Amino acid sequence: MHSLPPAGRDLRLDFFRGLSLWFIFLDHVPSNVVAWFTVRNYGFCDASEVFVFISGYTAAFVYGRVMNERGFVIGAARILKRAWQIYVAFVFLLVFYFAEIAYVSGHFSNPLYTEEFGIFDFFQKPDVVLVEALMLRFLPANVDVLPLYIALMTFFPPVLWLMLRKPDLTLLLSIVFYFVAKTFDWNLVLYPYDHSWFFNPFAWQLLFVIGAWCALGGAQRTSPVLNSPPVIALCVVFLLLAAPLQLSWLFPSLSGRMPSWLMILPLDKTGLSGWRLAHFLALATLVIHYVPFDAKFLRSNWARPLILCGQNSLEIFCLGVFLSFSAHFVLTEISGLIPMQILVSAAGIAVMVTVAALMTWYKDVERRGGKPPPSATQEGLGRVTAS
Amino acid sequence: MKVPFAALMLALSAAGPAAAADSCDVPDNLVETFARLPRVGLSVKRDHRLEVLVLSAAPKLSGEASSLKSYPYYLESELQQRLKGTEVHVFAQSEPRKTINEVARDLSRLISERHPVLVVWQTGTVEAMRGIDPDGYGRALNASVAALQSGGADVVLINQQFSPRTDFMFDGAPYTENMRWVSQTRDIPLFNRYEVMKYWGETGAFDLTALKNDGTYEKVHGCIGRLIADLVMRAASLSGTVER
Repeated sequence: MHSLPPAGRDLRLDFFRGLSLWFIFLDHVPSNVVAWFTVRNYGFCDASEVFVFISGYTAAFVYGRVMNERGFVIGAARILKRAWQIYVAFVFLLVFYFAEIAYVSGHFSNPLYTEEFGIFDFFQKPDVVLVEALMLRFLPANVDVLPLYIALMTFFPPVLWLMLRKPDLTLLLSIVFYFVAKTFDWNLVLYPYDHSWFFNPFAWQLLFVIGAWCALGGAQRTSPVLNSPPVIALCVVFLLLAAPLQLSWLFPSLSGRMPSWLMILPLDKTGLSGWRLAHFLALATLVIHYVPFDAKFLRSNWARPLILCGQNSLEIFCLGVFLSFSAHFVLTEISGLIPMQILVSAAGIAVMVTVAALMTWYKDVERRGGKPPPSATQEGLGRVTAS
Repeated sequence: MKVPFAALMLALSAAGPAAAADSCDVPDNLVETFARLPRVGLSVKRDHRLEVLVLSAAPKLSGEASSLKSYPYYLESELQQRLKGTEVHVFAQSEPRKTINEVARDLSRLISERHPVLVVWQTGTVEAMRGIDPDGYGRALNASVAALQSGGADVVLINQQFSPRTDFMFDGAPYTENMRWVSQTRDIPLFNRYEVMKYWGETGAFDLTALKNDGTYEKVHGCIGRLIADLVMRAASLSGTVER
């Protein structure tokens, strides 16, 4: 059995997961000018890739240890408990989503939007829609990464079991599965049965497994290759080429006609296109290369808000989706002008950070059970959660 | 200095340029196109006729709203004003709530009935609401546009409109991206109705958040008709101005 990397919190994971949560929130506020700062505008991948990869990494890191020390059954039980928590979070968000739709549909009769009223047709049959939603077969926009997370976690115990014994074989199987699913167009079907999951779990499992593989020693073993100058140069060139391509795609008038050999866009997000995957892996390689495990800025004050959000990721993700609904409400009810977009974006992130700080503080209090706080050198060490 | 929250809200909601109430103006980069409409140009110059088919999946207006004029009406009058001596017909075909695959089945019949030289096709909203696979949507649209072109028609695509109240319920961006891919592949203009209306909403040219009919409908559709007419004139290299 392969040995696990040393315990200890890799703050880089928290930092970048926090960043991806901020980006997901900003991207989810409809037509938000602040979303121009997020990663999706400067390359092929977006915050979803970061979130899924880091989730796979932490899941393997945390539950791999449990499975090693306490056996498969206990490890699997912990993973399934986590999947259940995510399901509950999904249902919680669904209620807010339905409430906002119900509110709008009850008051809305502007003839300008007759075509958009079609979205309310689904809610003519609440009995069907609610049951389908609870069975993960009716997935509203903006929360669809959670069902993916549920599906990935539910099937993770056997994957992790194999990964702890034969990591490279597991990765290979995952890659084969990715290509087979793509070839045969496999995906899960959704109500009303003419479409399928926006995040195809058969394709996105690959990124989750790559994350797990990295956590269980893959990153260490490949580090001489990944840190070699040719690989780093290749990643830099790839990112430098991708950025103008993506930007010119977003501003067609600036770039003029695109040559046909460059017509690789738009990239398939549902099936995790190879270009998106490659872009994310290049980005991750560079981040690991240039941001060492013990990078000073990770312990600085300005990194703290991001790390706090990353350490409470499920809660902060849900809060972010909820806040994006609220931000949308403010933008339509009060003002949708650009200063307001900036204000609601900043306010949303402030709320996310405050709640994350409160949760971390409360967890610390609970864990200490009244004992004095740990010394500063131990802060953040020896404690890894899968949130 | 502390600013009371209510005052801040008021300032933010009142901020922004006070645009003229019926101004259709948008920055040029929102309506630029590199594509050409050669069949339109030829038909106007040689036959002095322009047969336009506007295709959309929007349902017909009902009740009090049924008397409101929509952009196909304005497109016809705007084109007619610009093309003196040319007979312009715009026929609006609505296929309510039909997806691309369902509309595609009717295309050959519509073409043989109307013989349009220009098809203005508004699409993507139904697909976004139903969550149809964006990639498959792009492929189907590409095939349909190719069929229209080989049937002798130029095509202008229109994406979904900006609808601030339903914006969070479904995401049209992947469909617009696929329409852009089709527009580049088939060398046809894409009228980005979403960005144009978003600009109007953000600059305060129109209030697009009203819950009820507030008289904005015809103003918005009038502007859309005018901008599409301008786009058609430019892409077909036709001259003709309108005095306002």
